[in-house]
Amino acid sequence: MKTTLLAVAVALSATAALAQSMPAEVTEPVTITFYNYNLASAGNGADATRKMIAEFEAAHPNIHVEGVPVQPQDIATRLQADIVAGQSVDLVQMPFAALGFAAENLGAVALEDIVPAEELAGHFEGMVPNGLELGRLNGKTYGLAYTFSTPVLFYNADLFRKAGLDPDQPPATWAELKEAALKIKASTDALPLATGIYGPTALDWLMQGVINSNGGAVINADRTEMTFASPEAIEAIAMLRDLAQEGITENLSITAQMEGMAAGNTAMYLQTSAIQGYLVKGATGNFELRAAAMPAFGDKPVKPSNSGSALSLHSTDPVKQRAAWELMKYLTSERGYTIITSEIGYLPLRPSIVNDPEYLGEWVKAHPLVQPNLAQLEKLAPYVPLPGPNYLQIGISMMDAMEMATFGNDDNVAGILTEAQERTQRLMP
Amino acid sequence: MMTDAATLAPVQPRRRALALSGWDTGVGHALMILVSLVCVFPIYWMIVTSLRPENAIFSTRLWPDAASLDNYAYALRAVPMQRMLVNTFIVSAAVTAVQLLSGILAGYAFARWRFRGSAILFGAVALTWLVPLQVVMIPNYLLVARLGMIDTLGALILPHIASAFAIMLLAQSMRSFPTEVVEAARMDGGNHWQILWQVIVPNLRGTLASLAILIFITTWNEYFWPLLLTRSPENSVVQIGLQMFISSEGTQWGPLMAASTMASLPILLIYLVLQRQVISSFMKSGLR
Repeated sequence: MKTTLLAVAVALSATAALAQSMPAEVTEPVTITFYNYNLASAGNGADATRKMIAEFEAAHPNIHVEGVPVQPQDIATRLQADIVAGQSVDLVQMPFAALGFAAENLGAVALEDIVPAEELAGHFEGMVPNGLELGRLNGKTYGLAYTFSTPVLFYNADLFRKAGLDPDQPPATWAELKEAALKIKASTDALPLATGIYGPTALDWLMQGVINSNGGAVINADRTEMTFASPEAIEAIAMLRDLAQEGITENLSITAQMEGMAAGNTAMYLQTSAIQGYLVKGATGNFELRAAAMPAFGDKPVKPSNSGSALSLHSTDPVKQRAAWELMKYLTSERGYTIITSEIGYLPLRPSIVNDPEYLGEWVKAHPLVQPNLAQLEKLAPYVPLPGPNYLQIGISMMDAMEMATFGNDDNVAGILTEAQERTQRLMP
Repeated sequence: MMTDAATLAPVQPRRRALALSGWDTGVGHALMILVSLVCVFPIYWMIVTSLRPENAIFSTRLWPDAASLDNYAYALRAVPMQRMLVNTFIVSAAVTAVQLLSGILAGYAFARWRFRGSAILFGAVALTWLVPLQVVMIPNYLLVARLGMIDTLGALILPHIASAFAIMLLAQSMRSFPTEVVEAARMDGGNHWQILWQVIVPNLRGTLASLAILIFITTWNEYFWPLLLTRSPENSVVQIGLQMFISSEGTQWGPLMAASTMASLPILLIYLVLQRQVISSFMKSGLR
């Protein structure tokens, strides 16, 4: 009820604003807010974000950007509170999992509704089509991919050598991964494999990639039916269960996984490439860290999903909409993605800058770990946000069932998933 | 002989008792030293980790090979720690002062005045103690927004002006205050205001000190309300600063431990200087 009222309030104010069209430029001083989760943590993400805001403000003297730091898990609730409190919410770094909720309940504006078609097409030129799809819902663009990444298989080359494996030939399929992991288990004390599939902050982003790669999907294309009890999904979870039963992988917290890999106690780690900087710090001087593409199911094509966030525009005031759109354009420009990739560690949505010496050319040469991630950009199967105001409950229930099917005592994977699918279907809008 | 025997007889058990007591004391001390080490070890590990370089952060050595203050420099550079520490001190001190004041006034009213509905009112105040802050956070947030106080230190203090715990503790202490002394003061012509500040409060110094310490420490460790309220690190508190070193892209353990050491120092100082009062405050109020 509360969510419905909020949605009606947001819709009414948005409708009123849409009656006026966005001006072509900002001629008077205006302040916009930018809810950003990189600003909520210390380090490269915050420094790079502040740098981009400073560059933008220097180029647009009439626009002042107030960065509002918010933790990613708090963004939806914080926006709800701020909208009700009458705070100005203009541009948001929205986690992909919450994008559907933002479009349906938090007043995220479809760019096609406010930006002239020619201007929009001009900005989209040069962007990876798969990447643009990340922010599209019901045929409209509610978000522009901002900081996003794909899952890569980090591995400890020293542990590979110790197990008699060739680090130049990392496993390309889950079957090869199992074979390598068993050798590592037999000849070292290390945990052969950790994955970021499960965990309180993971929700289903990585799981979508795993199931998609086996030809399944957790939800159908028009987001009306949960499909994670399909034979393909059951087969994918059964494969993960087999790895757990073999003692190759364990149900660790994300922190324990990351620390295990950074400390050199884990041989392989499937996780977002966004943690690369963290792993590199641990590996420096201790072991050789390498990265490979996400493993495939036999000869089926790999369909990596994406983690991260999109930029969603929530302004209702036309002048602020223009200011927020200008900031959005800058952040997703060649220059913006250069900073995002080289200083935060995410993927550029514009592939032309990768080899351009003016942008990322030299940096990519000096940072070979980014290559598998870049190569996966073309194969990306965009993350599908779960629908409705219950999206979090749906996601958590689904992931709890999958976790139980992978690590629990019950071998009936199909039964667990089917029961959970029926349960989550009842939470759908 | 009889006398000697009778005299000597009780000596032997006493010696055994003394010997046993010495043994007991030795074991007791050893146990206490062990427990103390267990208690102190996390603090030691926090400090040692704060001195380790990034690539040795997961080392299990008891002392880093190359100790440095780099993590402290980074923590101070990456997050406005000094400003946050000052903010936290201001908020903690202000909350302590206003909660003590409101607690003293309300406690006196409940303890000394008989008025219709006082028991119900006291019960209502006590019930608010059972409502977690998280439940009222959003209504409080809306109120603070309407007052135009978002992202201000004042808004961090406002919801904590009165505390059910402080009122109940002080009302209880004042109820057990000898009525003869109050009556004597009244016969000497003292009014309520004078009795409260000149007779009761000076005699409740111990309780007030204990309560002040508890309020200060609780406010110092406050996290959720500042998390919702503040929009800039410069207007935030130190617990939010610590959270800034933890993200989904990895925890920066070195700087986090350096910042935690800095954030713990004021509380550690309170423990060191007011050790007896702190322990007594925890005993008086139960473990919190």
